[in-house]
Amino acid sequence: MRLKRYLHLYKKFASQHLKSLMQSKVDFFLGLIGFFLMQAGGVAFLYLVFQQIPDLNGWTFNELLFIYGFAQLPRGLDHLIADMIWRVANPMIVNGDFDRYLVRPINPLFQVIATRFQVDAFGELIVGLGLVIMALFRMEVRLTLMYFILFPLLVVSGTVIYTSIKLFCASLAFWMKNSFPILHLVYSLSDYAKYPLGIYINPIRLILSFIIPFAFAAFIPASYLIGKESLLIGVGGTVVFAALSFSIAYRVWSKGISIYESAGS
Amino acid sequence: MITVENVLKEFQITKKESGLKGTIKSLFKKEITIKKAVNDISFQIEEGEIVGYIGANGAGKSTTIKMMTGILVPTSGKITVNGLVPYENRQKNAQQIGVVFGQRTQLWWNLPLSETYQLLKEIYNVSDEDYNRRMEFFNQILELEGFMNNTVRTLSLGQRMRADLAASLLHNPKILFLDEPTIGLDIVVKEKVLKAIKEINEEFQTTVILTTHDMSDIEELCDRMIIIDEGKKVYDGSIEKIKGRYGYMRRVEIDVKNSEGLNSINIEENFNLKEEDLISWIEENRLHVKFNRKKINISEIVAYVMSKLEVIDITIKETNIEEIIKRIYNKEEV
Repeated sequence: MRLKRYLHLYKKFASQHLKSLMQSKVDFFLGLIGFFLMQAGGVAFLYLVFQQIPDLNGWTFNELLFIYGFAQLPRGLDHLIADMIWRVANPMIVNGDFDRYLVRPINPLFQVIATRFQVDAFGELIVGLGLVIMALFRMEVRLTLMYFILFPLLVVSGTVIYTSIKLFCASLAFWMKNSFPILHLVYSLSDYAKYPLGIYINPIRLILSFIIPFAFAAFIPASYLIGKESLLIGVGGTVVFAALSFSIAYRVWSKGISIYESAGS
Repeated sequence: MITVENVLKEFQITKKESGLKGTIKSLFKKEITIKKAVNDISFQIEEGEIVGYIGANGAGKSTTIKMMTGILVPTSGKITVNGLVPYENRQKNAQQIGVVFGQRTQLWWNLPLSETYQLLKEIYNVSDEDYNRRMEFFNQILELEGFMNNTVRTLSLGQRMRADLAASLLHNPKILFLDEPTIGLDIVVKEKVLKAIKEINEEFQTTVILTTHDMSDIEELCDRMIIIDEGKKVYDGSIEKIKGRYGYMRRVEIDVKNSEGLNSINIEENFNLKEEDLISWIEENRLHVKFNRKKINISEIVAYVMSKLEVIDITIKETNIEEIIKRIYNKEEV
């Protein structure tokens, strides 16, 4: 019942947001094209590297393509749905704009998220999906029913990890007023998770797996999907880390709200 | 309806010295001072009341309002709003209150006003029937038709404030919090807003709490006012009472034909009263006398001046509420 109401509200919010976006169509398309180009650049880079070295730390080009493509999906979904969290880090809390979310009868986090529907993210999603499909074909992976169940599950779990990490960092703004630099720094670590963890030194591997678990939102589930990781870690680990990250982030967020200071008016 | 009990709200303020040196220093040692924005305030508000919440800038008005609406959590003390603790039960509380912050719109900046109302209708789960009826009513008293299809960001301040007021009332809240609802408005729009508030209060028995700097708002709307100063409650009662208690000071301004003659009279010496009961000064060739009407009669003063000089005009000024409050803020003995 509650979920239905929230879904209904989300639809309303998103359609209103789209309407206001359509008011400036140029922005809309430029944003899309910009992201498209950025993604294309990333793939071109991979391709160039592999022209020189055909085998990277035991990974083939197709495998890397799959991991790279898969990594774009949770990232893109989070970008599409939860982009507004960046604004929490700055300036929503420091300037008191957060007030409005506390005087309405719906969950504040839901309101923040529903406020923006970031269509730029389609760039990431389209490129990611394209790469994944291409890589699957080239590797001739046999697609079972299980695959069609686990694939979305892993993408969704990865998205939850992305959103939780963002939420955690953004919530620090309740204490620090502006947590944008921290969020930016942490978020940029996600770039490392779209390549095999094995190429990094141990401390980075540990951080990406257990402290800021972007690896569970990209490399680890992706390598499960191409048969290079066990079910326990590839699926179990991903789901557990998603649940864990969200529960920690949401707690910090709630604690943050309770000490929110607003701004003088 | 609303109970506020011994509420205290402290803010930590980190002192930082200016410049790069100060920034570096603050990394190692932070000087934290605690500011009591609201300091042990208690009051009760009954259903259907319109209460003016008054205080100078930084007195703690907005902080109190923000605690009653659930935005801030008090450091200690307890607040209940229609049986709910706002900061513990935010979402439920939000359904029964309406909030307008004059300085900050609650509307969606990039949407046409009508779409904003559509969203609010969904958020507050208002039925089509109620929605249509209420919108019609708001149109009547706030005249929204003219800009209903404009994007919120293009609205003038006056239009935006009316739109915000309607938005806060869409779900027919039991309690309406207005934080400086008339700030920056011209007199015509202000009248409209005040009238609307009054009508809503009469029509739906809505309890209204408003803060303002404009005393005429209070005099027009409220039967009761609460004055706070530096986080403490300094007055809670009717406007009539405060006038009776503090309003016995009167001012009279006297114009005379030959203004040089003003220097020759000495009112204070003639009546021999304490300075706080009688004081006079000359401003723009006019004699100003401030006096306590319990100690001295106006006719005595005027008669004295008339006996010495040729008087052209006399203006008597009653102390208005604004002046009384100014005195309270300045901690003057009144």
